[in-house]
Amino acid sequence: MPDFRFWRWRRQEDEELDRELDVHFALEIEAQREAGVPLRDAQLAAHRAFGSVALTKEELRDMRRGAALERLWQETRHAARRLLRSPAFALATVLTLALAVGANAAIFAVVYRVVLNPLPYGASDRLVALEFSIPIRNIPSVYFVPSRLYFQYLDRARTLSGLAMYMGANDVTLTGQGAPERIRVSRTTSSLASVLRVTPAQGRWFTDAEAAPGASQVAVLSHGFWVRRFGQDPGVIGRPISLDGVPTVVVGVMPSSYAFPDPRIDAWVPAPFATRTTATDAYMFAVVGRLRDGATIAEARSELTRLAVDLEPLYPTNGYRALASTATRLLDATVGSIAVTLWILLVAVGLVLLVACANVANLFLVRSEAKQREIAVRRALGAGNRAIVQYFLTESALLCATGGAIGLALAWAALRVLVAFGPPNLPRLNEVALDRLILAFTFGLSLVTALALGSIPLLRFTPVIQSLHESGRGSAASQGRHHARHLLMGVQVALALVLLVASGLMLRSFQKLRAVDPGFDATSTLTFRIGLPRTDYPDRGRMAVAHRAVVDRLSALPGVSAVSASTCLPLSEGQLCQGGPLFIEGHPFPPGAIPPFVAMRAIDGGYFDTMRTRVLRGRGIDRSDVDREEPIVVVNQALVNIAFPGQDPIGQRVRFGNPSLSRGSPEWLTIGGVVVNTPIFGLAEPNPFPQLYMPMFASRNVNMAPRLDAMSFVVRTTLTPEALAEPARRAIGEVDSNLALGQVRTLQDILDRAAAQMAFTMVLLAIAAGVSLTLGVVGIYGAMSYIVTQRTGEIGVRLALGAEPGNVARMIVWQGGIVALAGITVGLATAFAGGRLIESLLYGVSPRDPGVFAGTTALLLGVVLLACWLPARRAARLSPLEALRAD
Amino acid sequence: MPKKAASRVELIHGTLDMLVLRALVFGPLHGHAIATYIQRTSEDVLRVDHGSLYPAIHRLKKRGWIVGSWEPMPDRNREAKYYRLTAAGRKQLTTEHSKWRQLARAIARVMEPA
Repeated sequence: MPDFRFWRWRRQEDEELDRELDVHFALEIEAQREAGVPLRDAQLAAHRAFGSVALTKEELRDMRRGAALERLWQETRHAARRLLRSPAFALATVLTLALAVGANAAIFAVVYRVVLNPLPYGASDRLVALEFSIPIRNIPSVYFVPSRLYFQYLDRARTLSGLAMYMGANDVTLTGQGAPERIRVSRTTSSLASVLRVTPAQGRWFTDAEAAPGASQVAVLSHGFWVRRFGQDPGVIGRPISLDGVPTVVVGVMPSSYAFPDPRIDAWVPAPFATRTTATDAYMFAVVGRLRDGATIAEARSELTRLAVDLEPLYPTNGYRALASTATRLLDATVGSIAVTLWILLVAVGLVLLVACANVANLFLVRSEAKQREIAVRRALGAGNRAIVQYFLTESALLCATGGAIGLALAWAALRVLVAFGPPNLPRLNEVALDRLILAFTFGLSLVTALALGSIPLLRFTPVIQSLHESGRGSAASQGRHHARHLLMGVQVALALVLLVASGLMLRSFQKLRAVDPGFDATSTLTFRIGLPRTDYPDRGRMAVAHRAVVDRLSALPGVSAVSASTCLPLSEGQLCQGGPLFIEGHPFPPGAIPPFVAMRAIDGGYFDTMRTRVLRGRGIDRSDVDREEPIVVVNQALVNIAFPGQDPIGQRVRFGNPSLSRGSPEWLTIGGVVVNTPIFGLAEPNPFPQLYMPMFASRNVNMAPRLDAMSFVVRTTLTPEALAEPARRAIGEVDSNLALGQVRTLQDILDRAAAQMAFTMVLLAIAAGVSLTLGVVGIYGAMSYIVTQRTGEIGVRLALGAEPGNVARMIVWQGGIVALAGITVGLATAFAGGRLIESLLYGVSPRDPGVFAGTTALLLGVVLLACWLPARRAARLSPLEALRAD
Repeated sequence: MPKKAASRVELIHGTLDMLVLRALVFGPLHGHAIATYIQRTSEDVLRVDHGSLYPAIHRLKKRGWIVGSWEPMPDRNREAKYYRLTAAGRKQLTTEHSKWRQLARAIARVMEPA
């Protein structure tokens, strides 16, 4: 076993060796004397023969066990002591490295999880999300598919080896085990697990038989839900629970990494209503598939488009002909446009690290110049190449290790901020952490940096004699090195400017996004969702009564000014909720024409007043309309633009879906009013979706009327909305103690969440820009200070010859300023050219927004000039005498 | 480095260890005595300074071919560290000796062909 207490046995062995060499020395003198040499000469000769006992000892020490360790320890201690003697250098280096390494580690951690490894499924690069565009409707992307199309694909598609259909998040009420709770379930076909290639951590996934109609319901729990609700009880398998009153047996628990389609799903249950015999035209399912081996995504697209068109003759009014498959890799669909940002950021922080290294290298250069004399002395005293290399490498290793450690702490803090700001739909962001890989990454980064930096001074070695001669005079550094320094400054300025412009653009976009009128007033409102168990509320009539009872109870609460309900609120997690083709009375669609596809909501009276959504024409929907089941609808402006261009929509009559499939003969509904557009998928919708509101009919025969088993309530209050949550909960408990509130939040929360991705991107870019700016300024300040020091003699002469201090300062600032201007020019050109890369992330701002360009340039120029001016002022304030003497 | 007398030659690399082992064949010696032995028996051609001697001793010690112990020096009132061959050291000497003999003969044949 190696003994690490080397200092102990080192002393023992050293003493013994000293003794042995003493004896040797004495015997040598004796031998010389016996040979007749006088004592004095004998001693001298012995001394000479002995030369450097120290060297011998050193050599022996090196041969010993643990010597390397011992030496390292010693060198580290010495290096630490040396560095403490120049605290400014050490501090600047450590902080620079910490910032750069920290930023890199943080961004890398995010990129690794979110972009490189977003899907914890087997062979996830072969998974495709089925999406469609509807070119003639100018709809870029629909990811809902009619189940009829799904079965067409399941039977015919040769480019896909597996296919699964699912509905995103459905809220259901869990009862039976403790307090009732609204949980999110995803209804899927049984093929989902095999398509994604995931296996439950416990128990099993549901079988085909369990997913068939008529089978008793089973559920697979998410890991998070299992932990939260069941305290990781392994006995949960086989336990009966109740979902919306439907008895359900838990058959499995998924691993913690499994989060499909998003991380907020609590459980997966079969979708037994999605069968071949019940296949519908309603766009309500999402589909994920697995590419067959050898098939490309392009082949899949063309096949899927063709198979959709093949359905056209069978269902001529459903518009299958208009669909164009835009099947995307699930990876891309999940991560979306933020991947580009993250990659850009990773490159940017990589460049920041390079610049930081360059800055530190500059500091090292300056230091190594100051050390030339010391090194020369060391060499003259017999220090070998190895010793000199060690001398510098230990210093840089120590600095980099400290910087890396602090950087890691910074990264940890930054990650917490990022995760907090992260948009909820970003995959695996919650898993982003400083795990072993990130630690290794940071360690490797620091190591490479240390080696690179440590070897810089070595390149600067000059022969011993020359440097001993030279080092006395602080002669101006060579022209070449000034050029290098200037180049470095310029690059930093350019990089900082590019990042500043990017984050400036993002900031403007964010402001613009937040300034968008969402079509409702988000202040002082609380919203939540309530679902009614089908067992207790079997029909629409009872559901409508219950919703109305809830509205009435809430209205009676103190501080409540208005209450209403809708089957779907704006910006509801990017969900369409419900939509279907719209048919207009007197406008029979010729074969081949496609009816407009609209989103439908059922609302209680006073919804537009409560939301403060402006009614543009006609009227809204009143309570009495709901009570009398008035056959009326209100449409939004987008629907008018699409379905009634240049006409008055008021009084027109409409109905939905394929009339031949409806129960009986569905009634026509009359358009009574037009309201402003409200967003569905995101705050900034270039093409607002056509929407239609109808009263929550209890019994009227309306084809494709939105289901009433769950509604979102909006409560406008004069109090703080959050304070209303508890009274509301109690009031609803009085209606039915089995009802649970889900998604309790304010409309403002909903708006914030909708802007989360933009905010996230902005924060990321701001971090990178801030780090880059800080490092750039520090670097420029350092370089300018050095240049001023080098020119002290010259400045002294100038001052002595009567130069104005102001002129001297100007001269120096000009020297830095010209470099900064060059850097700014390059930076502006780069930002101008690279704007395209982030164009898709911007909103309402051109990637070449002159205001942003001018503002950031001015900011940068100001800061850089300040960084130049401070050393310049110092130079100008020198008294000529001092300046001349200093040299 | 002080210049060496012309009559001295540099040791062939690696042979010092063998010479130290050889010096210890007749009994334990201390460091100085080893140096003196080599110098004398080589008729002053080979001179070993402590800078190479002690590292060599250390090497041999580490390999277990010699062991050292502090013992009083005869005729003197002080102790010195005496080294003696171990069994393994003796075997090593035999091996190296025969290897060296082969080498020396081979070199001789090349340099002075009959």
